[in-house]
Amino acid sequence: MALKETDSSKLLMAVVCLVSVCSSVPISDLLDRASQGSDKLHALSTTITQDLNSHFPPIGRMIMPRPSMCHTSSLQTPSDKQQALQVSESDLLSLARSLLQAWSDPLLVLSASANTLHHPEQTSISNKIQELQLHSKSLGDGLDILSGKMGPAAQNISLLPFSGRNDIGQDRISQLINFNFLLSCFRRDSHKIDSFLKVLRCRATKTQPQMC
Amino acid sequence: MGCGAMMKSVMEVLLLLMLIFTAHAKEKSYSPPEKPTQTRCRSPEKETFTCWWEPGSDGGLPTTYALYYCKENSETVYECPDYHTAGENSCFFNKNDTSIWVNYNISVVATNALGRAFSDPVDIDVVYIVEPNPPEKLTVAVMEDKGWPFLLVSWEPPHKADTRSGWITLIYELRVRLEEEDDWEMHHAGQQKMFNIFSLRSGGKYLVEVRCKPDHGFWSEWSSTSYVNVPDYFHREKSMWILVALFSAFIFLILTWLLHMNSHSLKHCILPPVPGPKIKGFDKQLLKNGNSDEIFSALVVPNFPPASTSKYEEMLVEYLEVYVPEEPELMLESKDLLDGCLKSENSRSDSDSGRGSCDSHTLLMDKCGGTKEEERQTNRESSLMETQGWKEEAINHDTSGRVKTWPSVYSPLPQYGSNPLDKQSSLETAKQHSLSTSSFLTQPGTEDALGPSYTDFCLSNKQNHLHPQMLAHRELQTRSDVNISNIGRKRSPASEYVEVQRVNKEDMVLLQPVVSRCGHIEGCPNLPKGEDYSKVKGVDCDNRLLLQREGTGEDVCPCVDQETNGEGGNCYTSSTVSTTQKPTACMYTAMPLQGETALTLNGYVDSATMGNMPSC
Repeated sequence: MALKETDSSKLLMAVVCLVSVCSSVPISDLLDRASQGSDKLHALSTTITQDLNSHFPPIGRMIMPRPSMCHTSSLQTPSDKQQALQVSESDLLSLARSLLQAWSDPLLVLSASANTLHHPEQTSISNKIQELQLHSKSLGDGLDILSGKMGPAAQNISLLPFSGRNDIGQDRISQLINFNFLLSCFRRDSHKIDSFLKVLRCRATKTQPQMC
Repeated sequence: MGCGAMMKSVMEVLLLLMLIFTAHAKEKSYSPPEKPTQTRCRSPEKETFTCWWEPGSDGGLPTTYALYYCKENSETVYECPDYHTAGENSCFFNKNDTSIWVNYNISVVATNALGRAFSDPVDIDVVYIVEPNPPEKLTVAVMEDKGWPFLLVSWEPPHKADTRSGWITLIYELRVRLEEEDDWEMHHAGQQKMFNIFSLRSGGKYLVEVRCKPDHGFWSEWSSTSYVNVPDYFHREKSMWILVALFSAFIFLILTWLLHMNSHSLKHCILPPVPGPKIKGFDKQLLKNGNSDEIFSALVVPNFPPASTSKYEEMLVEYLEVYVPEEPELMLESKDLLDGCLKSENSRSDSDSGRGSCDSHTLLMDKCGGTKEEERQTNRESSLMETQGWKEEAINHDTSGRVKTWPSVYSPLPQYGSNPLDKQSSLETAKQHSLSTSSFLTQPGTEDALGPSYTDFCLSNKQNHLHPQMLAHRELQTRSDVNISNIGRKRSPASEYVEVQRVNKEDMVLLQPVVSRCGHIEGCPNLPKGEDYSKVKGVDCDNRLLLQREGTGEDVCPCVDQETNGEGGNCYTSSTVSTTQKPTACMYTAMPLQGETALTLNGYVDSATMGNMPSC
């Protein structure tokens, strides 16, 4: 969390410096910090998923909604490496930002439902969801600053509305199932963001091959 | 219906066919295959992946296995494209068949003549199953840093993993151990591809291995071991320490030797020897030899006390021989008495006999009889007790030959003022003293510069004997010259002696006739027989001996009693002549009557008077 905060604060300072005609922080550093943030985000989501799966009713796996039903599935993202490496940097950043933006609301839903989750690890999950929110917020701010440096195409954000599933479920099982489903969607999307940013980072540090 | 449902329907049809087939089959103990189990699926570089399964029992019949999968968004069931690349019971998905961020639903079917078995379906996403190959080209080199060796380890990522484009981000970890050890030492290397190992403890053969892990994946296997021989740098260090130890031992030996050489002086420095008593001129060896005479003679300062008459003023008057021819019988008597009572003159050898001590009987006698001269006069004239005649000086008291130290004698006594005087003059003054007795009698307050004669105090008591005193005076005068010159000499039997009674305040030696010790002489019958010494109270500033005045004037000798009738001041303690005597006291009380003057002829001070001397 502190990392994200310093990340955003640093980016903020970078913006200030830009405004006051200071020497700006190089993009490579910004990308480095952003990728570190996204890495943390994904790691958190993985931990929560593991916590959740430690006591998941078997039947829940059976009737879990398919990942294609994630609200972000409409966004076209590269599906393999070749495709991903062919995407321009601005587009990659745009994709990352869009995905991140798409999750700002659902995270709130997740957070709310985590408080009432009927699960042995509920407390831990709830705390981590909170952390997730913070990290997501700071990363979003950092990416916004980055987008300003990477061209107009980076400014495009695809809107991915969340179909307001505030009612996660009335009973415990459905609640858990829905929670799990949302979390899995987020986990994948956070991985995408992380991957895109790391590709961007490597592209930006051509002078420092040891980073990649 | 999705991918899974489709697959299931297909399986069911196949199963039906199989059942029909097996129904017609001959009876054997054959059974349909057991359900295979999918063990794992792995992707080494996030571009391809492989799935493995574990077959169950085949039921005795040849069994075939098939893997079917479908992707999340389509219903199409695909069969594994490659069963061989990855080995047996595996399915390899190449790049074309691999999609990331897509869920795969995979099932394995075991089929034999009697039936088929389906494994549990597995949902996987390729990005979550990434397990790279171990790092490659591991090299270890021994480097040296300021004499200490360290290992420089470097490697390369697995060739398949595309880290250059950032598609995969790998972090590395390596481990080291000595060949003979069991425990590995782990080192986390992060994203870097080289590492320095400084934690080498000793020389020998080291084993190094490295592995990697993608940012969100599984650890790879350990790479092949790299061996390295580290030379024994540490022995070098040991030898250095040995040298240091030897050198310090050598230094220590030298120090010990130095210490030993100087032990004596060190001992003196740390533990100084206790100084023994030393007397100048005293030879300890002689003492050990037992020749006491020699020793003490060694102590005796040559020419001291001066035997010659040239130093009279510095010497106490031993005695004054007073010859009174007019009363030869008295003299004889007194002389007899003296002879009887006086001490031997063995101490003549010592010119300083400490005469004048309060203890001396002669002093006592003096007290009884006043000043020596006067007393003798008076004694003779008044009573036998009075006229003791010139007695032997108290010097003779030390019959035993004791050495009497009279330090004050040797130092010039300014108050006596005897220094500037020559002997004769001092004698003169003595004479004058004696002469002045009469005058003193007439004029009690008369005091010369040298002070009234010591005889004064006695004289005071003998006023009634004035006339005889006058006579005696003259005689004294005549004799004093003679006798004074005999000071320090052996007492002539035919002479009477005067003892220095005391020295009064005005540096006058008060002489008194040497009174018989027997004490039966009228006047002082109870003269003490004891020692003629007085206790020395101390030495005052001017190096004068302060003798102790003891007692009061209560103890008076008979003669005192008689004489106290007069001025009542005579206080002679005739009781004793020992150190505990109070002759001085006696004398002192008497003295104030006529003032206290002491005439010193030769600086010889009566111990009694000494006590009275004004302290500085």
